[in-house]
Amino acid sequence: MLEIRNLCKHFGGIKAVDQCSFSVEQGSITALIGPNGAGKTTAFNCISRTMTPTTGEVWLDGERIDGLRPHKITGLGLSRTFQISRNLADMTVLENIICQSKISGWRDMFKPAMSADEIEKAMGILEFLGITRLAHEDGGNLSYGQKKLMDLAALLMSDPKIILLDEPAGGVNPTLLEEIIGHIRKLNEQGLTVLIVEHNMDLIMRLSHRVVVMAQGQVIADGTPDEVREDPAVLEAYLGGTMEAA
Amino acid sequence: MSDTETFDILEQRKAYNATLTQAADKTRATWFPVVVLLLLLAMPALQFVGNYNYLLHLLLFTLSYVVIASGWNILGGFAGYISLGHNVFFAVGGYFAGMMFARLGISTLILAPLAGLVAGLLGYLIGLITLRVRGPSFIISSLALVMIFRIFFENWEFVGGAAGVSLKANDLTVQWAKLPYYYGFLVMAAFTVWVSYRIKHSKFGLGLRAISKDEIKAESAGIDTRFYKVLAFAISAFFVGMAGAVWGEYLTYIRPNIFLTVLISVNMVLICILGGKGTIAGPVIGAILIVAFNEFFVATLGASEINILATGLIMMICLMFFPLGIVGTLAKHRKLPRFLDWD
Ligand SMILES: Nc1ncnc2c1ncn2[C@@H]1O[C@H](COP(=O)(O)OP(=O)(O)OP(=O)(O)O)[C@@H](O)[C@H]1O
Ligand SMILES: [Mg+2]
Repeated sequence: MLEIRNLCKHFGGIKAVDQCSFSVEQGSITALIGPNGAGKTTAFNCISRTMTPTTGEVWLDGERIDGLRPHKITGLGLSRTFQISRNLADMTVLENIICQSKISGWRDMFKPAMSADEIEKAMGILEFLGITRLAHEDGGNLSYGQKKLMDLAALLMSDPKIILLDEPAGGVNPTLLEEIIGHIRKLNEQGLTVLIVEHNMDLIMRLSHRVVVMAQGQVIADGTPDEVREDPAVLEAYLGGTMEAA
Repeated sequence: MSDTETFDILEQRKAYNATLTQAADKTRATWFPVVVLLLLLAMPALQFVGNYNYLLHLLLFTLSYVVIASGWNILGGFAGYISLGHNVFFAVGGYFAGMMFARLGISTLILAPLAGLVAGLLGYLIGLITLRVRGPSFIISSLALVMIFRIFFENWEFVGGAAGVSLKANDLTVQWAKLPYYYGFLVMAAFTVWVSYRIKHSKFGLGLRAISKDEIKAESAGIDTRFYKVLAFAISAFFVGMAGAVWGEYLTYIRPNIFLTVLISVNMVLICILGGKGTIAGPVIGAILIVAFNEFFVATLGASEINILATGLIMMICLMFFPLGIVGTLAKHRKLPRFLDWD
């Protein structure tokens, strides 16, 4: 469904992403892992066009998307979250979420900001995530974990086909972690394709169907969780054995 | 679904419904702007009982500031792009309508929408270039724009260069001479405020607010940020240009130094900041206050630089207590009187 071919992103001399190629199957949960600074976030940025890739191609459902502007990519059904939540302050959670609802053409621009349908849909999503009570809070006033949930909620508003999650459960407490895993699994069961970056190995091994491992900008392994776990190159990258420890 | 889960959802529903009733309680005081509008419409009747020309002039002046500040607010307040060069559109509107008036004799009151469109189109083109950068770079590019246009107008012989062109005054008696312009600005001010309201409550407005908070997030949320910004720039230029069109005929001349001065470009920014950037009532309150401060100090201190200094000083004091502008700060603390809540 999503295919990345020879993606490169250089910052001056740093090759943050270097000749990366991997693909994400329709309906799967694919994990992108790797040590800090491996280039995972940069790869996400290049796929969603938050950054311009230096070279390489990104294909979504047979369409080349690496030349498109970010809102077009979102319009095609690829949505992402940010590693550090980018909530819009001075806007309620509801507004934050409805911001993300699909707009087609300039006619839509002059419709009311939040139609009754959209509010109902957004409330449905909030209910699914169990945070209805936050609807009228200021998006900037949420706790760290609440922001992570709101990110997920906003993502769903645009009816994506594939979602890119950058550490959706990074730094949250174990209860919330379980909750978020549950949500991702449920969404995937409903047919949503997921590409997820996460440092929690336990979570990755339980959740994902495929694992892509990056280190120093390159893909060093790609396979099922079990295959990757045994891969010597991966163990090497994680400095011998932290995989077991995790 | 387990019982506890169902219970949770029910609890949340209840809590949410409670917030809804709270929101519904906050009904809009639409009557207030309507009453103000009616009063302003009736105001010239004072001329029957005495000479209130100066009062009408002050009101007209305030209304013209409402138009340009509310127009500026669409870009500066909603989208968060601070332009210090919006008087360029004031000048373009003024020159376009002024020259048409001088050559063809068509009243600028009729030409105003057309002049606005010309300014808006120019704004669209300029926006395509300058809106690529934000923050200080954008501010500086907007300042550069003023200099370019000032040099341009001062050297363009067709429009009279630095001396400008004088325009014919209307044939009305002194008592009624201001009236057409007064009503012109009143209609424009009401229209601008209404459009601002409609924009703020549209998807376009929501998108602009998102852009002002975090452009990268807005973009990845599916908002065509470039188009939104440029369109906001054009609409904003439209209103400023429209005001400029009538301003020239009111003063009976067009000249670079009545449009392209720092005072005007800074005033529209100050008005919005004082009243509340990004709010609907903010530019209106700000315009009233600026004109009132200015008048007060001119009356007490005389028409020298001291009154500008005093106006600046009192604005600083205001902003210390109302950092988000008067409307913005009161709204944040939920102390905004209902009749001022136009958002
Ligand atoms: N905007 C930037 N300018 C310069 N260098 C950058 C920029 N963004 C990332 N880098 C560099 O690119 C490399 C990869 O960073 P990236 O954020 O993609 O890593 P990551 O795999 O997401 O790490 P983490 O797990 O810590 O989030 C790092 O060496 C980083 O310093
Ligand atoms: Mg990262």
